[in-house]
Amino acid sequence: MTIHSITVTVNGKKEYLTVPSNMTLLVMLRDQLGLTGTKNGCTAGECGACTVLIDDEPVNSCMMLALEADGHEVTTVEGLGCDDGQLSPLQQAFAVHNAVQCGFCTPGMLISAYALLQRNPHPTEDEIREALVGNLCRCTGYLRIVNAVQDAAEKGKA
Amino acid sequence: MLARPGLPTFDYIVPATPNQVVQLLQEHGNAVRLMMGGTDLFVRMRQGAIRPKILVDVKHLPGMRDIQHDERAGLTVGAAVTMNEVASHAPVRAHYPLLAEAAHSVASYQVRNRATMGGNLCNASPCADTAPAVLVLEGDLVLYGASGERAVPAEEFFVGPGSTVIQPDEFLTGIRFPLPPNGSQGKYMKLGRSKAGDLALVGVAVLGFPDKTAASGYGFRIALGSVAPVPLRVAAAEKVLALRPPDENAFALAAEKAMQAAAPIDDVRASAAYQKAMVRTFTLRGLQKVWGQLCNT
Amino acid sequence: MTPPVLEPVGKSVQRVDMYDKLTGTAQFADDLQFGPGLYYGRLVRSPCAHALVKHIDSTKALRLRGVKAVVTGQELPAQIGLYLKDRPVFARDRVRYVGDPVAGVIAVSEEIAEDAAQLVEVQYEELPAVFDPLEAAQPDAPLLHPDLGKYEVASFIFPQPGSNISEHFKLRKGDTESAWSRCAAIVEGTFRLPQIQHVPLETHIAVAKWESSGQVTLWTSTQSPFAERDLIAQSLGIPHGNLRVVAPYVGGGFGGKAGVSMEVYAVVMARAVKGHPVKLRMTREEEFVGTTTRQSLVARTKIGCDAEANLLAMETQYYFGGGAYNDYGVNIARAAGYSCTGPYDIPNVKGDSYCVYTNLPIGSAMRGFGMPEIHWGIEQIMDQLAEKVGMDPAEFRRRNCVRTGDTILTGMEMPQIDLVACIDKVTEAAKWHNREKPAAPHKKRGKGIAIMWKAPAMPPNPGSSAVLRFNEDATVQVEIGAQELGQGAFTVAAQIAAHALGVPYEWVRVSAPIDTKFSPYEWQTVASRITWSMGNAIKVAADDAKRQILNMVADHWGEDAANLDIKNGRVISYRSERELPLKNMVVYGLPNEDFEGWKGGPVVGQGKFMPTYVTNLDPETGQGTRAVVHYTVGAQAVELEVDTDTGQVEILTVASAYDVGKAINPDLVMSQIEGGAVHGASSTFEALRFDDQGQPLNSDLADYRIMTAVDAPREIHGDFVETPLEDGPWGARGVGEHVMVPTAPAIANAIHDALGIRFNDLPLSAEKIFLALRGKEQKEE
Repeated sequence: MTIHSITVTVNGKKEYLTVPSNMTLLVMLRDQLGLTGTKNGCTAGECGACTVLIDDEPVNSCMMLALEADGHEVTTVEGLGCDDGQLSPLQQAFAVHNAVQCGFCTPGMLISAYALLQRNPHPTEDEIREALVGNLCRCTGYLRIVNAVQDAAEKGKA
Repeated sequence: MLARPGLPTFDYIVPATPNQVVQLLQEHGNAVRLMMGGTDLFVRMRQGAIRPKILVDVKHLPGMRDIQHDERAGLTVGAAVTMNEVASHAPVRAHYPLLAEAAHSVASYQVRNRATMGGNLCNASPCADTAPAVLVLEGDLVLYGASGERAVPAEEFFVGPGSTVIQPDEFLTGIRFPLPPNGSQGKYMKLGRSKAGDLALVGVAVLGFPDKTAASGYGFRIALGSVAPVPLRVAAAEKVLALRPPDENAFALAAEKAMQAAAPIDDVRASAAYQKAMVRTFTLRGLQKVWGQLCNT
Repeated sequence: MTPPVLEPVGKSVQRVDMYDKLTGTAQFADDLQFGPGLYYGRLVRSPCAHALVKHIDSTKALRLRGVKAVVTGQELPAQIGLYLKDRPVFARDRVRYVGDPVAGVIAVSEEIAEDAAQLVEVQYEELPAVFDPLEAAQPDAPLLHPDLGKYEVASFIFPQPGSNISEHFKLRKGDTESAWSRCAAIVEGTFRLPQIQHVPLETHIAVAKWESSGQVTLWTSTQSPFAERDLIAQSLGIPHGNLRVVAPYVGGGFGGKAGVSMEVYAVVMARAVKGHPVKLRMTREEEFVGTTTRQSLVARTKIGCDAEANLLAMETQYYFGGGAYNDYGVNIARAAGYSCTGPYDIPNVKGDSYCVYTNLPIGSAMRGFGMPEIHWGIEQIMDQLAEKVGMDPAEFRRRNCVRTGDTILTGMEMPQIDLVACIDKVTEAAKWHNREKPAAPHKKRGKGIAIMWKAPAMPPNPGSSAVLRFNEDATVQVEIGAQELGQGAFTVAAQIAAHALGVPYEWVRVSAPIDTKFSPYEWQTVASRITWSMGNAIKVAADDAKRQILNMVADHWGEDAANLDIKNGRVISYRSERELPLKNMVVYGLPNEDFEGWKGGPVVGQGKFMPTYVTNLDPETGQGTRAVVHYTVGAQAVELEVDTDTGQVEILTVASAYDVGKAINPDLVMSQIEGGAVHGASSTFEALRFDDQGQPLNSDLADYRIMTAVDAPREIHGDFVETPLEDGPWGARGVGEHVMVPTAPAIANAIHDALGIRFNDLPLSAEKIFLALRGKEQKEE
């Protein structure tokens, strides 16, 4: 096993870390930085609960080595809100539409939706559903989540 | 048995040059695995299917992440180019839309940000979504090894499930595509258990183009994924379409030939009988779609 | 600022946990931090479906650097279970399914624990295994539990020692023999359902710490902190007061985190490394086959009606495939037995419901608790009967469905419900009599309907309790033992507390996480019982607190407490029109005139609720005064399209209506209805698959597919009826499980409507539908 010193910007803050080669980005975020908003649901890239942004693009953090994040910017659910603790427009839309139940898929769902609205500010319902295909939810039936994303898009802010 | 909770231990190396990769392969043999996106590799490492001592991350080598398009020479896709990069690349979408479509059909958006073209092909899973597209676009796989570079036609690349012609000291650096035939239209049809995001139970790539050398006036190329030990071209179906006028009867006969060429097995995802029937359905639908596109342009 | 919400019962207020869940601050069990002393556990699981354990050798594992201990059943001969203590904590003499834990390894990292687990050497002597519940119920089947007669068992469960039958519930009403001859139409069928899994996004996880003082703490994702405490304490001989269960937010339960499953292993492993917390986390692969599943079912059902479509008789046998251990599953067979008719008034009934051991993963509670399973067959037969007598299926159900005051199959009088209103609502929303054309020539469209009932399935006396405490500023702490699984229990608790006390909704805080050391008792967050049972307890506690406050102020003002009330956080007098804010007074009390002493003091309201009226049933007939506390009923209609070239099904619309008594929070009710419809639709296509040796074939999300955003129906018309329940808070009854019960049969009925093909066995798949279509075409040719 090799040990690697890396520099990662996480939610705007520069972090200097030492990680073993087999540590995933997910474990680094949760265990080394205490950013437990990002969830471990399958460790196989299937459920999307661990989705984070790498340089503005969503990836499954369970399927990426921590050391690969060296020199990159990582955004987690903890970095989505506004600095004053207010919810972002996308989070507000989730609240208004009651698009949350158990909340375990929510962080990954928000990250995927946020990334969608960044690259496609006015998605159709099909596009929203397709963008969320890698984020499983067992509680809501997806309806309210899709409506929330649509609503956030219509208001023109993520 | 069940998969491990996390990745087992390994050394991680970023090689500086292609020759260093070759050297590592020669020195360590099976103990080395090359990694790019890891989306397939990590799953298999957790399952214990493979336990490499060293992972060599080749995606940072020059050219590995580049897409080069030349209107006269064709397209080269670096082995480590991600599915999303292929799917969203403007020249690929314009000139090789079939390839963009196949790349887009892989898993989920966030997986496609990591999964690479090269990984999809080198893992040689029969259900690799990009393989049928590469077959009908007649791409060459560019391998680099101790004796330098060589290009292998896609049709010769796959040997069996998980097995390719890549030699122990070689690795894939990219996929080279010739110019697509003039006026060609393509379609990738995929059957999954969900409407999107699943592995292919059946994948059918169809490419059609006007062809003065063919009796029918049109050339068609058809390739199947997920229904045989390797992705395969269906010469018998293509021949039907070269000879017969492109109508519903010809399409139905070609689809029938495609079904006959398929040799799927019963597994947890689908039965052989269903997969065979779906090869016919999806080949027929693919031909109808491509024909429709040909008539509209 | 939005104005405070007053009298929030019946209003769609925002969830109390919304902000935390949107910002990543909501803590789940895996999110708790334990510092550098944390150890990790992994389980050694059986590779055999049925075998004797001859020898366990941990030597190699213990030699691995970083390994702290290995525990096996040899050191700890303990049994555990909810209704039937049939589960050894670690398999001792015998393993009964692939995945049965035989040992636990504790190490400084999860990785080392896993490596060491692979080094534990276990010698097995394989035994013949049995997987089908019908086969397992035969007298010559391999016996899984030779000690069945020795296990401790609840008074209302009837195992049959010497067989694999862990429960046999008998229902006898009227005389079916003579009734058949009066039937103009009779339909019978055998229906099979596979084992499926809950697939919560959060897998099971438990962290346990055993102090040298004997104090034990368990932090875990559970629907049942108190049942965990009770069962683990009993099993391991820990005084209840020494075992503390801390239960943060649950990332999806659906019954899978009810009772006790893998948590006990964490506790036993912690005992071996006292002073160190030990974390045991199920991988997704383990979650599928190493925690619990929904039981399989083979149902043989026969129902008949007269020429006027009046149901006359039913005979049914339910064989639930309970897997290797049936400690919870026995009560599913019982629930299916006493509700075996579904929501119908049938005068003559003969029902036998069995829970049967099989060499497969443990079958246990899952959303619906036997009801989705039995309704699958019943609701398809009802459609066939309707067809035979020439009646519209919705009308057939209106005619025969159970009504308030009916003497139902157990002899109990049906409490207040209105199922006909539910049917009316869904047929209207689904435009039942309109027939739309399919979207393409190769597609066929169909509509189907199904109705349902379900009673909370539990012991006769499950209790709830609640405490309300005031903070100085008159904000209120609601202390409950009910758990937030996503269904909105905490929100409903806050609404009920606020409404009953007369304070704004925003003033209420739920004391969480649930912690058996501080939280008042709650049996389990299961059976859709929380809004009703916990709600009642909170209401009592609020009334208690309110009485204390009003008495104090009445004394202060020299008025009669009967003329006082609390509105918007202020005590008011209807007589003198005086007002006094609750602030400070609820903690410091009020001074007497001229400060000549004080009155009152910190206000603490207490409340409890426990049903006292449920009776045991006659073991030979299933008859009794009151089988259950109540039923929730509902109806669902589905419209779908089938691609006849591929067999693929697209569910276009779902219309549902349930009689919730009173929607405490209408938006949460709708959320349950929508989520349940999709859960039910997804379950129609789900199955755990095993080879002929009982080896799992699809224990991951790649091959056990659940519905994604692109597969889920896009139109869901949720609705509810409010027929108040006599002993529900504001009339409310539960709806969390019911919402997935009718979905699968409604889909099957719609597919039949589209294609003219009946599917008696789940799961459905595009492949199965396609091959059936082809078979039908060939027959017709």
